[in-house]
Amino acid sequence: MNRKLRLPVSAGGVAAALALWQLIATGPMAGGPLPTVADTFAELAGLLAGGAFWAALADTLVIALAGLAAAAAAGVVTGVLIGSFEPVRYATAAVLEFLKPIPPIVILPLVVLIFGPTTPMSWFLVFFGCVLPIIMQTVAGVHDADPVTLDTARSYGLGRVEILARVTLPSAMPFIGTAMRVAAPAALIITVVAGLLGGGPGLGRSIYQAQASGDYPVLYAYVVVLGVLGLAFQGASALAERRLLHWHASYREVLTP
Amino acid sequence: MNRRLINWTLGVGTPLLLVTAWWVLSENSTNTFFPPLSATLERFQALWLFDHFGSDVMLSLRNLVIGYALATVIGVGLGFATALVPVARWALDPLIHFLRGIPPVALVPIFISLIGFGLEMRLVSITLAAVFPTLIATVDGIRSVDSTLKDVSAVYRLSRGEKLAQVYLPAAGPQIASGMQVSLQVAFIVMIASEMLGSSQGIGAMTLLAQQSFMTSDMWAGILLLGVIGFGANLVFEVIKNKVLAWYVGSKRLARS
Amino acid sequence: MTRTLATHHHPGMENSMELQENPVALGTAAARPRLEVTALSKTYGSGPNAKCVIEDLTFTVTTGEVVCIVGPSGVGKTTLLKCLAGLQPATSGTAAIDGRRIDGPPPEMALVFQDYSRSLMPWLTVRKNVRLPLRHLRLPAQEMNQRIDDALRAVGLDGSDGKYPWQLSGGMQQRVAIARALAYRPEILIMDEPFASVDAQTRFELEDLCLKIRDDFGMTILVVTHDIDEAVYLSDRVVVLGAKPARVLDVIGIDLPAPRDQISTRSLPEFAEQRTTVLSMIRKPA
Repeated sequence: MNRKLRLPVSAGGVAAALALWQLIATGPMAGGPLPTVADTFAELAGLLAGGAFWAALADTLVIALAGLAAAAAAGVVTGVLIGSFEPVRYATAAVLEFLKPIPPIVILPLVVLIFGPTTPMSWFLVFFGCVLPIIMQTVAGVHDADPVTLDTARSYGLGRVEILARVTLPSAMPFIGTAMRVAAPAALIITVVAGLLGGGPGLGRSIYQAQASGDYPVLYAYVVVLGVLGLAFQGASALAERRLLHWHASYREVLTP
Repeated sequence: MNRRLINWTLGVGTPLLLVTAWWVLSENSTNTFFPPLSATLERFQALWLFDHFGSDVMLSLRNLVIGYALATVIGVGLGFATALVPVARWALDPLIHFLRGIPPVALVPIFISLIGFGLEMRLVSITLAAVFPTLIATVDGIRSVDSTLKDVSAVYRLSRGEKLAQVYLPAAGPQIASGMQVSLQVAFIVMIASEMLGSSQGIGAMTLLAQQSFMTSDMWAGILLLGVIGFGANLVFEVIKNKVLAWYVGSKRLARS
Repeated sequence: MTRTLATHHHPGMENSMELQENPVALGTAAARPRLEVTALSKTYGSGPNAKCVIEDLTFTVTTGEVVCIVGPSGVGKTTLLKCLAGLQPATSGTAAIDGRRIDGPPPEMALVFQDYSRSLMPWLTVRKNVRLPLRHLRLPAQEMNQRIDDALRAVGLDGSDGKYPWQLSGGMQQRVAIARALAYRPEILIMDEPFASVDAQTRFELEDLCLKIRDDFGMTILVVTHDIDEAVYLSDRVVVLGAKPARVLDVIGIDLPAPRDQISTRSLPEFAEQRTTVLSMIRKPA
């Protein structure tokens, strides 16, 4: 199959999907809850022209990024502390392993009860959802530091803090980087969930309102926006990880097959 | 020897200590947000063992299991088709990448608008949201199958079926499995979200209802059950994964030591 | 269908690993070339970016012969093997077996890849790796097991058949790959730098194994190597390739006495002479 056909086929795939959507919306489901493509994109254009959308977008981004930043700071510090002391690592392992597979949506009712449908509520959920994986990856990274390098550093008489800054943290960076790449899109998702289910400010709440009032073209327009935003988050975090960690062996390997 | 015993004691002791502390400290609590653990456990027993077991717990779990199973089959099947048929890959790639950017929970309002608040909606939401991680991991896994293995299959003239089942599937197995693990998380989250957003049945709905009517012990009982299910589902998955991919786990451990 | 034909050609292969009494008979039956490469060229890309890797290659291999292809590294030897194995089409010219043009993996051929760690299935045990290519031959269970047992014994791996490849050393992994080829009972065995990444001792053992296979099964063997000593030791004839794009510089007949032996053969004055001939051929400025 000719590679030159790739672009037209991809464009055809997108066009076919849109055509199918339009066909269903005007045919069997005409007048129903499925808006037409034209209506959705008209509504999307309307949203982009208005101020409310941008305010909601800003709320979403601020909550997601603030929660992520707090989780990163707290997670790395906690992770380094846990990882540096073997007894602490053993003491916390079972607790962390138990909490890790529990998504933040589980504690959403409690958090909404305490904070109400507010920015701190969303922020806390993002923090809770992102901090655990970052802690665990940091612990793994600290634990993974090359013992030969550590011994070398000690034999040169480097102090504890110096070893931490010059050996342990750099060698834990790829682990932390991976955790952040996974956490960044998760922060966005949790912010949306907090708005949709907990009434927190931002795009999640906008979606809930559109659904509750039966304003379907707006609902679809918001979901389209979220798709684009989600891709942007994934792309940006992957790019940042590559940029910051290009020196590390796991990235060098990719270049030499 | 002695140190191992200490570490082991710490590992088992800390969680026990935390639960005991929770029990003791909360025993005389009059705080509306943090009821005594004894009260929570009482409500846990009263609600889930087995008053609402058949009507709500089983309902949630059945949705989760069926939705997840469907998602896995569709994800792996579609992943194979997308990875191995260039035209399919070119046509579907942009769509898949756009759809996976959408936070899975944001799809729930759309399905509510299309098919209402019923069981079908919850099942469809779980299935479709959970398809993407498995689908994308399958495509990536198959596309990164070693070219030497492909050459080996060609030289020894393996049939198409043999290539798919004996070479591509096991070679992509580790990646498919990690995609399936993410899918399981997504399925669990969407199970809760779909119940919270528009249902009177299921663990998620009951927990949110308890919160809205300030029955905090009931809410805590719901959170506890959801936490146990989240942890348990992941544990079952890990056990099966380590069994099926024993060769992979073994080779990785050997490579590390 | 072709499979039954293949076993019919070599009834000796049905027997166990006993050394065949008269390799000479095989030699005389080999008047006609088994494998014939004629004016083969391979170019990647097209237009101004086209890169010619192989140009106008011609040589033959007769039945029961061991032929080594030597040449500087990066000369396109692997590309040549991929064309011979039907994994890549040639740009022009032909490769043929018994006069039949190769346009896909031929049923009578097996290939041992250079990178043993990547050519074995890590999820299959040694035994199942060897069995994988046999499944679609629809052999009776007893014969299939017999073949696997014979092949594993021939490479000295009986007893390791329940292990996974990654539990074995590099040399043992390459033996598994060879056992897999043996159990498949090809008439033509092609090996791509098969002993490049094993230690010297294992290398000698595997070289002798290669000669034993030829004697036992009457296989036609083509080996790509960059090790000139190895080429001289193994070969009946050595095909010397020149660099970029690969062309045949010369085909050198090696008449060292059989059976060959790692110590006595390598210390023969003729061995040193042949070695010098091949080496000077490669070092000669183009």
